[in-house]
This record gives sequence, C-alpha cells and structure tokens, in this order.
Amino acid sequence: MNDMSWTPLGPPQPPPVPPPMPVAFAGNRKDFFRLVARGAGLELVTLGFYRFWLTTDIRRHLWSHTQIDGDAPEYTGRGKELLIGFLVALAILMPIYVGYFLIGIEAEHLKAFASLPLVAFFYLFGQFAIYRARRYRLTRTVWRGVRFWMSGSGWLYALKASLWGLLVVFTLGLALPWREAALERYKMRHSYYGDLQGSFEGRGWDFFKRGWWLWLLMPLALSSYVFAPFAYAAFKAIEWRWWLSGIRFGEVRLESTLPRSALVGLYWKVIGWIVLLFAVFAAYLLLCIFLAASIDGSSIESFFRTEAFAKSIPLIVLLGIGYLAFALAMNVVMRVYLMRDLWLRVLSSTIVHNIEAAANVTARGDLANALGEGFADGLDVGGF
Amino acid sequence: MESDSSQTNSAATPAPGGVFFDGLSNRRRLVALRLSDTLEIRESGELLGRWPFADIRRADSPSGLLRLSCLTAPALARLEIRDAQLIAALVARCEALEADLPNRKGVAAIVGWSLAAAVSIVLVVLFGVPLAAERLTPLVPDAFERRLGDVAEAQVKVVFDGKPCSNAAGQAAFAKLVGKLRETAGLDNSVQSGVLATSVPNAFALPGGKVYLFDGLLEKAENPDEIAGVLAHELGHLRHRDSMRELIHNGGTSFLIGLLFGDVTGSGALIFASRSLVTSSYSRDAETNADSFAIETMHKLGRPAKPMGELMFRVTGKEGGKGLSLVSSHPLTEDRLARMDKADAGSRPSGPPLLSSAEWQALKGICGSGRGKV
Repeated sequence: MNDMSWTPLGPPQPPPVPPPMPVAFAGNRKDFFRLVARGAGLELVTLGFYRFWLTTDIRRHLWSHTQIDGDAPEYTGRGKELLIGFLVALAILMPIYVGYFLIGIEAEHLKAFASLPLVAFFYLFGQFAIYRARRYRLTRTVWRGVRFWMSGSGWLYALKASLWGLLVVFTLGLALPWREAALERYKMRHSYYGDLQGSFEGRGWDFFKRGWWLWLLMPLALSSYVFAPFAYAAFKAIEWRWWLSGIRFGEVRLESTLPRSALVGLYWKVIGWIVLLFAVFAAYLLLCIFLAASIDGSSIESFFRTEAFAKSIPLIVLLGIGYLAFALAMNVVMRVYLMRDLWLRVLSSTIVHNIEAAANVTARGDLANALGEGFADGLDVGGF
Repeated sequence: MESDSSQTNSAATPAPGGVFFDGLSNRRRLVALRLSDTLEIRESGELLGRWPFADIRRADSPSGLLRLSCLTAPALARLEIRDAQLIAALVARCEALEADLPNRKGVAAIVGWSLAAAVSIVLVVLFGVPLAAERLTPLVPDAFERRLGDVAEAQVKVVFDGKPCSNAAGQAAFAKLVGKLRETAGLDNSVQSGVLATSVPNAFALPGGKVYLFDGLLEKAENPDEIAGVLAHELGHLRHRDSMRELIHNGGTSFLIGLLFGDVTGSGALIFASRSLVTSSYSRDAETNADSFAIETMHKLGRPAKPMGELMFRVTGKEGGKGLSLVSSHPLTEDRLARMDKADAGSRPSGPPLLSSAEWQALKGICGSGRGKV
C-alpha cells in the first residue's frame, strides 16, 4: 500500500473564501429551493409522513451552511428520531385525550361548557413540548466537535410560560416583553455549549422601549390588512434583534444589528406569492370546470343549471389534486422565504464578540430524545 | 499512481493537511494526515488518532469542505479537509463514506412504508372504525350514555336558547303521541322527550334516550302524521343508539385521519374535508336506517310515512345539487320523500288518526301560551 501524507503549512493557511463576518451564511438558494420542492413532492406522495425527514434535511442545510468564526455547525439529528418521537408522543397523547374527554363530560355535567378551561391544560402541554423540542434541537447541534445541550425542567418552564401568559392576557399584551425575557432567561440559563453555560441578558424593559409603539398601533394592525404585515414584520425584527443581543455563552456575547424594516420585504413577498398562487389556483379551477363540462357533453350554462357539476367525479378529483398542489406550493414559498431567507437576514445581522472565550471548551452533556418534537408535532406548536 | 505523484508533491511542497476536533474539547488542531492502511492523524508529530477507512463516515459540511467522523473514534470527533486532491484520495478509499447519510434507498423505504401505513389507516377508517363502533356501542353502560346525553342536552339548550314548552294540553297531546310511537316501536318508558321553544325547524335524538322537537318544526307541520313520522325517525336513532355509535365512529375517524396528516387534534382543512367525507357517509347510512324504522313504525300504527317526507321537503326544499351530496350528513330530502312514497304505495292508512284535531291544535300551541306565561 502506498503511503500518502499531508502536513500543514507553517502558518495556518486561510480557507479559500474567508468569511468577512464572524457569522455568515454560505448556502445556495437554488439548492435550498430544490431541497424543499423535492421534499414537498415527497410529502405529497407519502401523505405527509415525509415531514420528519424534510424537517431534518432543512435543518441540516441551514446549520451546515452557517459559519461562526469560520467553522460551520452541524445538525446531527435524523428523521427517524423525529418519527419515533412522534409515535411515542402519540402513545402518550392518546390516553390523555380519552381522559380529557371523560373529565370534560363530568365538567359539562355540572354546567354547560364548563370543560373549556381544560383547553388551558393543552396550552401547558404545548409549552412543555416547545421546551423539550428546543432541547432536542440543541443537543443535535454540534460546533467544533462539541455539542450544545440543555438541562432544566420542561414542566417548570410550562408552568412559568402559562402564568406569564395569563398576565399577558390580563394586561392586553403589555406584559409580553417581560414574559419573553423571563422565559428566555430560563431557557438560556439551562443551555450549555460543552462546559460553557449560557445566559440571557436581554431585559423586558429594553424590548418594551423598542416596541411599545407597535402595541399602540395594534388596533390599527388588527383592522387593516395592508398595515398588518408591516406591523408584524417590524415586531418580529425588533424581537429577533433584542433576543440575539441578549444571548451569552460564558464570556461570548452576541449582538444583532437587524434594522426594524429588515423583514418587511420578506413578508410582502410571501403575500405576493400567496396571491399569485391563489390566482393560478382560481384559473385552474375554471379550467377544470370547462373540462368537466366538456367531458359531460353539456354547455357550461346547463352544467351549472342542472347542478351536474356537484356530482361530477372527475371534477372533484381534479379539484382535490389542485388543492393539494396549491397547499404544497404554499409550503415551499413559506419555507424558502420564512425559513431560509429569514435565517439569512437574521444571521447576517449578527456579530459575535469575544469568540476567543469559547476557544477551549470541554465536551459535556447528553443527547435528549425527540419526544418533545413529537408532542410539538402532535399539538401543532413548534418552530424551525 | 495518482498517490505516487502526490507523494512526490508533498515531499517538494508540503500539501495542506486538515483541521481536527477530537470530540472532547473544541480546540481547533491543525493536523498532518497520512494515508496508510488507516488514516493517521498527527499534530506536530504526535499521533492523535488512527481511523480505519471502513469506519470513516461523511458528516454534513458546507460546500468545498469534506467533514469526516469515525465510528471507532469519539462520536463528535471531526476531521475537516479542504484540499481537493486529498478529498479525492480519501473518497476513493472509504467505501462506506456515505453509508449513514440519507440516500435514495432510504427515501424509497420511507415512501414505501408511508404508503403502507396510509393504506392501513384508510382501511381501518373504512372498515375497522365502523366495526369498532358497532361492537363497542352495546358495551357502553347506559348510565354513561345518559350522562353524555345530559351534557349534550345542556349544550343544546344553551346554543339554541330553547326553553322547554309546558302548555298543559299541548304536553298531554305530545305525551300521547310519543307514548303511542314508543310502544309501537318497542322502546321502554325511559325515553325522555319534550318540545323546545326555538324557531329552528328541527328535531333530534341525544344519547341516553332523549328526543327533542323544536317549535319551529311544529309550526311548519300540517298534520299529526308529519310530526309522528319525524318522532318515529328520532326514536329509530335511539333504538339503534346512533348518537353513541357516531360518537365512537367520529372520534376514531378524526383521530386516525389526524394521525395520517400529522395533527392529532384533527383540525386543518384537509383533515376536516376528508373527515366530513367519511363521517357523513356513515351518518347517511344511519339516517337511512332511521327512516326505515320510521316507515315501519308508522305502518304498524296503520299510518302513512309519506307526510314526514313532505314536512321535510317543506323545510329544506329541493336539495339536489345545492352542495356536494357526498359531504351532506343526510340523504337528499327528495330521495327520502320518494322512498317513503314508494313504501306507502299499496297500503292505505287503515289505523285511526294518532291525535284528534283538538289534540293536534293543543300540540301546535304547546309553546304559544307557555311562552306567554314566562
């Protein structure tokens, strides 16, 4: 066997394209589009079961094309884990649903609609799922051969989140910044990179100072379809910036310079696409009706007058296929803009200070299971 | 041959090595790599690891970078290589490089298993759930069913804001009518019934033996046979314990369809659509059976069944084509009317009228004076 050896040059050679910023995203948009478009097709073929693998592939793409101090993190989760988490969550949720139903009957027996507060229980459960899902994602994130991990109690978090949620409701949303600050403090305090403990220094008051005017504008945003995307985009931008700027790992400090207007274009693009897709769907609808009428051999008018269109099986099948294609196209648009492009914009506004403090971190922490992701999937809460 | 040339190359000008993370700390080590029968990783001469080629796996990385892990090294140990030549040489040697990454075969397996799961869920929805509803319903204790009925009753009364009508003469006429039907239908006297003061023209049966008639339907009725037919239809639901069966059936269907599309709570447009398609076909069957029961009961009393159909036709009008007949929970009114007409053909009503005209008038006014009093 021939031996081969490669030795490093004296001074470390800089990588071919040194990233100018500590955090950058080097992913190709076309690649991501191909990934989600193919994923949407597979979701259609598998009636949705492919979502576990698609989610995994999206995360792998986003993680591995992000560069922090020149090194890309790695997502080590796998679709199978998400599937197993989902199945286990299902096995746990099923008896809970039955119990919920029986308790509901007893409560309703005393007073009609007395069981509505039980919905609160599912809110609690959803918050638990959010915490545990974050834990799964964090323990599958590896940077420089060391993984992130998380301790803390999902139930304690759920309780905190629910109590703060009540306060937010009672204060008509004014307490939201303080709720987010408190919850982030809990989450970050229990997050680690190796032996480096995280913390959160964002204060509710800072968030409030940046966003109070949005609170005042809320009635306007809720009543006007044109204004609402602007308000929402501004809120999200303020939230991202405040959140990122509060994150600490040991002495490492993040800072975000995301401008308030950074996400407005993104949301309007999504709206534009949705309108366009709607138009295409409507045109397809018309085409289908003409087609079905011509198969039927009747004129459009008589087709409608005799109400034969409601009984035409080919029409119903065509409409079903059209609807599915429409829904999947929407999914692709959402994923490209609201996951990839959002990720890119938020990342490229992020600066890492004092990264040298994370230069010699010892690996610690165990993997968490995907049960939380399963609950999040089953209860329809979740994020990236 | 290729390796020979690179060896001479490396002797002349040292080629770049790689960056190594040992998986125990995040220290970035610049390492020299040697490809013998294993991959030797050395940092300034010190051996850090010896990775057998068969154990080396590719890990996710940005483009232009090969990131490797090794089954026999710490799980998170990573070796990163940028040199294209070295990458090519390594790829050629590591046969199982891509073994752990999702590939075409994996996707095919996912598609195959998903389709199998989907087919099995659909089969369970179409055959298993109706069977389970059929078999489980008789096992549900009466006490539990009555509790369910109480709950549903309380909700119905809130939703329709309906107070029970209590005009004495009307009550008597109503009790007489229900009693006759009940005895003929072979139901025991645990059946609870009443008229609610609501202008919605409807009637319904609740689990645990409750039958309610809305005043709105009474107002539209022109003779006792019409109301009797409707009540007989609802008694048919009670007899077959349809509410309980539908509850089990709909619960099971929602759950399974939600499972298929990934939302256990069973909301969402697609889930809603497919669920209504399945459950409404089930409920159409139940309605058809209740109609048969009503026809049979009315004929036993020597009365025609057609008036019930006429009353419904008066309420709904011609239904065909108004919406998708596939998703409506009842058979089309005109079809039901035609069926009752056909069933009546040949048998002339031979029994006595179910109510005298005075009793009929009292029944029609059951809510009128009752409401006046309140």
